[in-house]
Amino acid sequence: MIVLKRDGSEVPFDQQKIIDAICAAMNSTEKKIDMDVAQKVADKVTTKISRLEKIDIEHIQDEVQSALMNSRRKDAAEAYIGYREIRTLKRRERSSLDKKVLGLLDLTNEEVLKENSNKDGATIPTQRDLLAGIMAKDFAQTYMIPKRVVESHNNGSLHFHDQDYSPYFPIYNCMLIDLKGMLENGFKLGNAQIETPRSITTATAITAQIIAQVASHIYGGNTINEIDKILAPYVAKSFAKHYANGLKWLYSLDQETIAQLDIAYDNQGLHERFPKCFDYAKELAEKETFDAFQSLEYEINTLVSANGQTPFSTFGFGRGLSWEERQIQIAILRNRIRGLGKDGKTPVFPKLIFGLEEGVNLHPGDPNYDIKQLALKCSTLRMYPDIISVPKVTSITGSFKFPMGCRSFLGVYEENGQELHDGRFNMGVVTANLPRLAIQAKGSEAEFYRLLDELLDVCKEGLMYRIERLRGVKAKVAPILYMEGAAGSRLQPEDTIDHLLMNGRASISLGYIGIHETVLSLYGQHIYDDTKLWQKGLDIVRYLSEQTARWKDETGYGFSLYSTPAESLCYRFCKLDEERFGVLDGITDKGYYTNSFHLDVAKKVTPFEKIEFEKEYPVHANGGFITYCEFDSLVQNPEALEAVWDYAYERVPYFGTNTPTDKCLECGYEGEFEATSSGFECPNCGNRNPKTSSVIRRCCGYLSEPSQRPFNEGKQREVLARVKHM
Amino acid sequence: MYIADYKKFDVLNGRGLRNSLFVSGCTHHCKGCFNAASWNFNYGFAYTPEFEQQVIDDLQVPDIRVSGLSLLGGEPFQNVDGLLGLVKRVRKECPDKNIWAWSGYTFEELIADSARLELLTHCDVLIDGKFVLEQRNLKLKWRGSENQRVLDVQESLRQQAAVRLYPE
Repeated sequence: MIVLKRDGSEVPFDQQKIIDAICAAMNSTEKKIDMDVAQKVADKVTTKISRLEKIDIEHIQDEVQSALMNSRRKDAAEAYIGYREIRTLKRRERSSLDKKVLGLLDLTNEEVLKENSNKDGATIPTQRDLLAGIMAKDFAQTYMIPKRVVESHNNGSLHFHDQDYSPYFPIYNCMLIDLKGMLENGFKLGNAQIETPRSITTATAITAQIIAQVASHIYGGNTINEIDKILAPYVAKSFAKHYANGLKWLYSLDQETIAQLDIAYDNQGLHERFPKCFDYAKELAEKETFDAFQSLEYEINTLVSANGQTPFSTFGFGRGLSWEERQIQIAILRNRIRGLGKDGKTPVFPKLIFGLEEGVNLHPGDPNYDIKQLALKCSTLRMYPDIISVPKVTSITGSFKFPMGCRSFLGVYEENGQELHDGRFNMGVVTANLPRLAIQAKGSEAEFYRLLDELLDVCKEGLMYRIERLRGVKAKVAPILYMEGAAGSRLQPEDTIDHLLMNGRASISLGYIGIHETVLSLYGQHIYDDTKLWQKGLDIVRYLSEQTARWKDETGYGFSLYSTPAESLCYRFCKLDEERFGVLDGITDKGYYTNSFHLDVAKKVTPFEKIEFEKEYPVHANGGFITYCEFDSLVQNPEALEAVWDYAYERVPYFGTNTPTDKCLECGYEGEFEATSSGFECPNCGNRNPKTSSVIRRCCGYLSEPSQRPFNEGKQREVLARVKHM
Repeated sequence: MYIADYKKFDVLNGRGLRNSLFVSGCTHHCKGCFNAASWNFNYGFAYTPEFEQQVIDDLQVPDIRVSGLSLLGGEPFQNVDGLLGLVKRVRKECPDKNIWAWSGYTFEELIADSARLELLTHCDVLIDGKFVLEQRNLKLKWRGSENQRVLDVQESLRQQAAVRLYPE
């Protein structure tokens, strides 16, 4: 007898398979296996069907089911039915998984292909990453993430971020790389042992290697915190190297004599003795620093990490006052102003953040005021740098540090009585869909908070699972992070990383979206139009931060409240809510939800009004925040941008300007391309060729090139709805 | 005098953050004018003492560094009577603010007319000349076509000849 299987294949009948299936079902019952019954049922079924030449599998299962029902083990029959149902469900899931994989193959799976504007889904390495992501997410949802969390994620009440990487892999989100420790103490990279660099050229080359490695072991952004301070010693080494050359060739000194001199930029006495040497070494070291940072920028923009994308890298700088630190700041900005390639296109990475500080660079007369001018020029041309107000970040987060990646901020943590920042990281995010709760609460504030409590309970469970997944993980899974120092530790392969997660060393973040839509839905009015509503919006965010603070006290883990940069999420939540609640004016009709505490992008206000509106939120959401304003092109007018920066400096910790930095490679026009139905068009010469256009927009925390790779639908609609604040 | 538009914190018309006043009425009628609606001398809203006070106050808002006032149009120099009082007040009450003006007339034409010259003497920067569509170039700073010039008014008056603003 032949058995016809579901996939159409044919196999010879085998009674043992019936016995195995019955035993498997019995094994899941309280009474466990009864071989006698199993054998009898199998015999009965075999006898009944033995006259047939061919039988399909479903038919056999029906017979087994009915024979079991008539046996003394009805409980086993129930288990067998349940077992069949689960298998059917799995098969259905399997086919939906297949659809996703197929969609990747024929490039129709937009959800996966466009989820991240930094990934070119058409290329093979990225496809491998996306394929792994589809499988990892499916597996994690089926077997790993707590059921309640999976359900809430899938129905859109919350978003358990980055399931394509975590929790299938024990991998975390974003970090500050301990570059200083790695360079000073040496480390192993692949097969090579790397020693402390002896020039800025080598130091930046190694930095690029480290960033590439780190980016392959985490899924979020990485930041070099105060890169000017960290790499300054290597500029000093380059200066000394050139100086020694000068002494040898210009003054005929021998090696021994040279070795005894204290060569340093501020050794005045020496320069008076060897003036030509000083000028020579200064010029060469400055040139070398510029070139070194040019290489670094190119490397980062040409790298593809194991995650199939350019590393999300950020450089924070601007506070250093020494000559060496200043040279690095200047090199970073001059390179960025110059742009990439012969056409000088705007680089997308690394993100640049410039620290503004009174007494350093804020006012005319401050020692680095010239560098602020350079930063302003750079920002009008390249959108970056964004700025950090040093005093504001310090007061709001408790200590000074640049964000990890685009906007995640660490709190205070001390080791051996010293504040520690570099090497710390964020364990991941779960974001709450606040507008949905508001819609469900139907105007009742009390109901909203009741629903919020319920949802936060699930969010917390999700976040605790993220931590749980990292606990007990051994250092060997990511040698660059845990054994070679990027996460500030030098562990043995079998050591666990648990101590790196605890006592607030790492953060774990609750995210939120749509304060604008939430307030509109709950109170029926635009939040900006009534200052009482300003307070209501703040109340919600303060409430969330109180919860994360409580979780921190309870668990000892570094819970924080994070203003999620929703790239695809702004679309996903809104679309799911539209399907569920219909088209609601100003809420689900736009195709996107507004990010975190941000003012509705379509609200026409001045940048100063926007800053005033948003300035109180970071105080509560101090695990992650940024304020943006939209401008016309400021290329001609850096003075205007400076007036805005100075205003922002006093009020918000972290500020970015969205200004058109498009460039036409046909006519040389710099400004804003017009978005037309047939693509982006140069307003000066009408050029529409994406190959000779550089069109850059800020997508969430980072920049991207929509002319080359379109945004997801919701983000595109949000970008189009943005109004200029001047 | 009628006002076609008034923009606070304008970044496009002149250096720094500026408040821009677009006066109504212009007889130049340049082809491709960016603001043709304002050719009509009765377009927009009437200029009142209250509005004038508002303009003065807006130049002095606390905490925001406004560089000055920009006069556009229409044609400011066909609204001399209406504007003279305002620019005099700005000079007196907001001594740290500068005044930029845009005109379809050239510098040479303006100084040949005593009323227009008087208004000009209160300005710091003049963008002069008609907009010529054939010479349109969006890459230019503060102006729309190649024939137009960005002039340092006080220096030009001293030398009685057009002197370009440096740096633009």
